[in-house]
Amino acid sequence: MSLDINKLSVGDIIPEIKFDEVTQVQLIKYAGAAGDFNPIHTVPSYAKEAGLDGTIAHGMLIMGMLGKLISDWSGIKHVTKYGVSFKSKTVPGDTLIAKGEIKKITPGDGFSLVDCKVYIEDTSGDVKVDGKVTIKL
Amino acid sequence: MALDMSYKGKEFPSYSFKVEHCKIKELCGAIGDKNPIYFDSEEAKKDGYKDSPAPLTFASLMSFWGYPEIWNRMTEIGIDIKRLLHAKEEYEYLELIYPGDELTGTVSVDSLRDGKMQMACFKTTFKRGSEVVLIAKMTIMVPPAN
Repeated sequence: MSLDINKLSVGDIIPEIKFDEVTQVQLIKYAGAAGDFNPIHTVPSYAKEAGLDGTIAHGMLIMGMLGKLISDWSGIKHVTKYGVSFKSKTVPGDTLIAKGEIKKITPGDGFSLVDCKVYIEDTSGDVKVDGKVTIKL
Repeated sequence: MALDMSYKGKEFPSYSFKVEHCKIKELCGAIGDKNPIYFDSEEAKKDGYKDSPAPLTFASLMSFWGYPEIWNRMTEIGIDIKRLLHAKEEYEYLELIYPGDELTGTVSVDSLRDGKMQMACFKTTFKRGSEVVLIAKMTIMVPPAN
């Protein structure tokens, strides 16, 4: 599936994705996959000693979940830029929803650039990660 | 602890990273991205790809597995790695990355700011041969001590 630039407009909403609840096992899987073994993400007693209520998710896991919103929508081959700011912590038990919308379309020579705002929040609307993405079509 | 500002602009020795399909699957599995193009080469080909492409945040995996020395470099600069927070992460994609690619990653100190709040941005340029395929920027901050 491929997006048609002629059918896109500023303000269009990217189809949202609701993820399964974040679990402690998921954080362990992410640690192993990504190679980020900071025990703040995997060992509850360590996280508590560090002053937290418990383990917190890797920010990069959440950026990866938000990335799925983009790559499912546009196809990964069309993504030229993706950047995020980390806003608040995600903990096991949170259910996250990734959302986005088109902010700007810039026609170029033989292609167009589509700039979008993307973000991922929990079910109470707390934004965890927000960012910008540029798609080339 | 004051930062050693002489590190601003400094480039660290390059490292190599071989992309394996298994790591792409593991990362997508952990993220919960079940798109079959990442798991099955044939599904990826049907969608116009050469093979299963590396997902958008694969650079972070390459950095952690390929250049764990970054933690020592940060400590040398004077960054308190126990207190640092990840503020921003930004990618510029020039070419798709595929299983079998042998990439070279080179980290440099893109910006460094000292003060009550310390900030540092590390830029990694990933090349396949002489071709730049991906530029990653990681910005970390160390909040003021209480």
